[in-house]
Amino acid sequence: MPISDGQSRGTPPRGLPTSNRRGALGRALTSLAGGALAFNLIMVLGLLLLLLWQGGAYFWPRDLAWFELADGRQVLGEIHEHRELRTTAASGAEPIYEVRLKTGNREPELGGQDFVWIREADIKRSERPHDAVLLERRSWGPFFGYPVAIRRGDGVIAEGRDGTFRKLEQLVPEKAEHFEKIRKLEKGEIGDVNYEIERLRLSRRKLSMSTDSSPDKARADAELQRATQVQESRFGALADRLRDERQSLEAEILVIESIDGRRKTMPVSEVVRAVRPNELSTAGKIGLYASRLWEFVSDEPRESNTEGGIFPAIFGTVLMVLLMSVIVVPLGVLAALYLREYAKQGPLVRAVRIAVNNLAGTPSIVFGVFGLGFFVYFLGGSIDRWFYSEHTSPVFGTGGILWASLTLALLTVPVVIVAAEEGLAAVPRAVREGSLALGATKWETLRKVVIPASSPAILTGMILAMGRAAGEVAPLMIVGMVKLAPDLPISLEWPFLHFERKFMHIGFHIYDVGFQSPNVEATKPLVSATALLLIVVVTILNLAAIRVRNRLRAKYATTGL
Amino acid sequence: MKLSACFGLLLMNLGLLGQVKLDQELPLYAPTSGISGNLNSVGSDTLNNLMTLWAEGFQKAYPNVKIQVEGKGSSTAPPALIAGTAQLGPMSREMKATEIDEFEKKFGYRPLAVKVAIDALAVYVHKDCPLESLSMQKVDAIFSKGRKGGYAEDLASWGQLGLTGDWAERPLSLYGRNSASGTYGYFKEHAIWKGDFKDSVKEQPGSAAVVQGIASDLYAMGYSGIGYRTSEVKALKLSPKEGVAAISTDPENVYAGKYPLARFLYVYVKRAPNSPMDPLTREFLRFVLSKEGQEIVIKDGYLPMTSKLAAQALDHFGAN
Repeated sequence: MPISDGQSRGTPPRGLPTSNRRGALGRALTSLAGGALAFNLIMVLGLLLLLLWQGGAYFWPRDLAWFELADGRQVLGEIHEHRELRTTAASGAEPIYEVRLKTGNREPELGGQDFVWIREADIKRSERPHDAVLLERRSWGPFFGYPVAIRRGDGVIAEGRDGTFRKLEQLVPEKAEHFEKIRKLEKGEIGDVNYEIERLRLSRRKLSMSTDSSPDKARADAELQRATQVQESRFGALADRLRDERQSLEAEILVIESIDGRRKTMPVSEVVRAVRPNELSTAGKIGLYASRLWEFVSDEPRESNTEGGIFPAIFGTVLMVLLMSVIVVPLGVLAALYLREYAKQGPLVRAVRIAVNNLAGTPSIVFGVFGLGFFVYFLGGSIDRWFYSEHTSPVFGTGGILWASLTLALLTVPVVIVAAEEGLAAVPRAVREGSLALGATKWETLRKVVIPASSPAILTGMILAMGRAAGEVAPLMIVGMVKLAPDLPISLEWPFLHFERKFMHIGFHIYDVGFQSPNVEATKPLVSATALLLIVVVTILNLAAIRVRNRLRAKYATTGL
Repeated sequence: MKLSACFGLLLMNLGLLGQVKLDQELPLYAPTSGISGNLNSVGSDTLNNLMTLWAEGFQKAYPNVKIQVEGKGSSTAPPALIAGTAQLGPMSREMKATEIDEFEKKFGYRPLAVKVAIDALAVYVHKDCPLESLSMQKVDAIFSKGRKGGYAEDLASWGQLGLTGDWAERPLSLYGRNSASGTYGYFKEHAIWKGDFKDSVKEQPGSAAVVQGIASDLYAMGYSGIGYRTSEVKALKLSPKEGVAAISTDPENVYAGKYPLARFLYVYVKRAPNSPMDPLTREFLRFVLSKEGQEIVIKDGYLPMTSKLAAQALDHFGAN
C-alpha cells in the first residue's frame, strides 16, 4: 500500500524477520512474494507490449498489394491478416488459407466494402504496383487506386497517373492550409458573431419574460433588436465570405479510379494525405508514421470519431482530472484534519472512519447516479432556474465537466482522507509539542508545522485519486461525458473556462470506438492506440505529482521533520 | 408488418436494385440565417454514429451551433427529453405507451416522432458458417425461452439447423444486446413474439460488440443492425414463415417491405401543439431529411429515406 509512504519513515521496518529462525518456511514465503511480484510485472509488461504492438502498428504504412483472382476480378489493398479458414482449422481437414484485404473505398459508387476475404487458392497473380496510391480523406475513409485527373472549372490541370499524383502532392498541403484558414474563420469571427447574436436573443427573451411594462422596457427591447440586426448583417457578410472561401477551396476537382475501373469525383481539398506506399523508403515510412501519430494526438476527430485525432478527448480527460484534484484535495484534507486533530476520538469518529472506508468500496456507478440526481438535476436545475431562466435549453441542468469532476471528487475523496490522516498521524508528537511550547496556538501549529510536514502524504493521496479518476468511465457516462463535444471546455470567450460544457474522455472513446463503431473492423487497432495513450496520460499526470511530492519531501527532510 | 403497408406503393417505382441509392428528389439543404445555440442529443446507440455524423455535417452549415451527442441506449432518450436535458431523443424503436404517458404528464402533449432513416436488423453468423437462411419461427426457437412463434422444438445446436459433420454437435453460441437498447426491444417484439430471451444470450454493450463477438466465434449467431456488418460476418436471409422463400437484406427487399426485420429509426422531439418549433431543432431535422443528411445515412450503412417519406416526416412538424 503506497498509503503507508508517509508513516514508514522513522519507524522500524516491519515484515518478516530476516534471521533464519523460520528456516525453510521463511525462504518459501520470500520466494512466493518474489514470484508474485514477478507475475504482476509480467502481466503489466505483457499488457503494455500488446497495446504497443497492436496500437503502434496502426499508424505504420503498409504496402499496397494487387491481386488478380481466378474469376478475373482485380483487387487492390493492404493485407491485414493471413490465416487458416476457421472451419478447416476447427475440423482438422486440409487447411485452406485466406487473406483479409483492406480495400477501402467505402462509398457505394466505388464498391462499398472496406474489407474483403480472399482465399489464397483464388489468387492467380499478385504484385506490388509502385504507382498505386493511398488517399486519406476527410470523409468515406481511405481510398486505394489511382487519381487520374484534376479539373479546375472547365479546364483540366493535370492528367495521367503520374502527372495527377505530382500535382496532387503539390496541391494537398496548399489545400490543408486553406482548410485551416476557413476553420479559423468559422471558429473565430463567425463564432464571435454567433455568440453575440445568441447573447442578444437571450437578453431579449429575459426582457420579454419580466413583468415590468414601463416604456423603458420597450426602449431596451428596441435597442437590443437594433443590435441584433447589426450583428446579423455582419453575420451575412461573413457567411458570404465563408461561401466564397469554400468555393475557392473546392475549386479543384479530383477524378479517382478504383482498380476495377469505377470512377468518382471529389474536391481535392477532401484529401488529407496522398502517398504511394509501395514507393516509400524506410525514412519516408517513418516520416509518415510520425505525421500520422501527430495527427492522432493533436487533431480533432472525423467521421463519427473513427478517424482523425483525439485531441479533445485528451484535453477533456486532463482538465477533468485537474479540476477534480483541485476539488478533492481541500475537501479530503479538511475532513482528515477534523477527524484526526479536532474530533474527540470515540465510537462516533470510528464509525465515520469506517463509513469513509466503505465509501471507497462503493461501485462507481452509484456515484454516477448520485451525481446525476444531486448535481445535475437538483443543483444544476436550481442554478438554471435562478440564473438562466431565459435559456431555452439547460445550461447547468445537464451533464457537464464541473458535475463530472465533482462526482469523481466524491468518488476519490476517501483515498485522500485516508492518506492525509496517515500523514497527520506520522508527525511526531515532540514536534507538535515543541511548537505549542513556543507559544503557537493549535491552529498555528497545524498550519505552519503539521500540514506542511504531512504534505507528501497528502500528495500521495492525490496521486492515487488522480490515477483512479483518469481511468474511471462508468459514472461519467451519465454526468456529462459525450461521444462528440463540439467545443473544448476552454475558450477565448468570457469566462474562458466553461464548466457547464460537456466533454470528451479517452476512456469513453475507447469504449465507443471498440463497441459501437459502425466500421469496427477498421477501428479495432485504434482501440489499442487510444488505450495506450490513456496510460501515457495517466503516467504523465502521476509523474508530475510525484515530482512535486519529492520536492516537498526534500524540503522537509532538511528542516528535520 | 406496418412497414410494408407504408413502403409498398411508395417504393416500387424507384428501381433500387442491389445497391443503396440516394433518392435524387430529396431536397437540398438550404441554410437559413440566425441559427445558433446548443443542441443536446441523448438516446439510442444504434443512432449514435448517425447523430454524430449529422452533427458534423450540420455544424459545417452553421459553424457555431454546438451539438453534443450521447448514446447509451434508446431507453435513455425519454427520461432525458422529460428532464429537459436533451432536445433530441434518437430512438431505434417507437416510444412505449408508458414512456409517452410520462412525457404527457410533464408537458401536457405527446412527443413528436420523426422518422429519420431505415434500418434492417440482421441475424448474423460467422462468415465461414455454411448456413444461409432461417425462418422467423426458427429464429424464435433459437433466441427465446418460450417459443411463442410456434416452432415445435427448442433449437440449441447447429445440427438441429441441418448442418452436418463437425457442426452437428456444436451448440449455438448466442449474442445479443443489453436491455437498454432499442435493438433488444425491437428484436424481442418482432422476432421472438414478445417472449423472453434465453439466459444463454450473451448481452453486449454495443451493436459493434455483437458483430465482433460473432467474428471471433465460429459457432456464434447474433442480431445487430445492418449498419454494423463487417467482412467477418454474414447476414442470414430470413423467411417470414416456414416453407416460404427467404429474403436477403438487400435494400430493395427492405424498401419493398419484404424483409421481416426492417424498422424505422426515429428522433423524438418536444413540440408543443400550435406553437412553432424551436428553430434550431427544426433546422437540424430539416438537414437530416435533406439530400445531404440522407447521404450520411448511407455512409453509416443504413438505408436512406425516400423523398416521399422525407416529405411526410417534414410535414409532421410543418417545416416543409
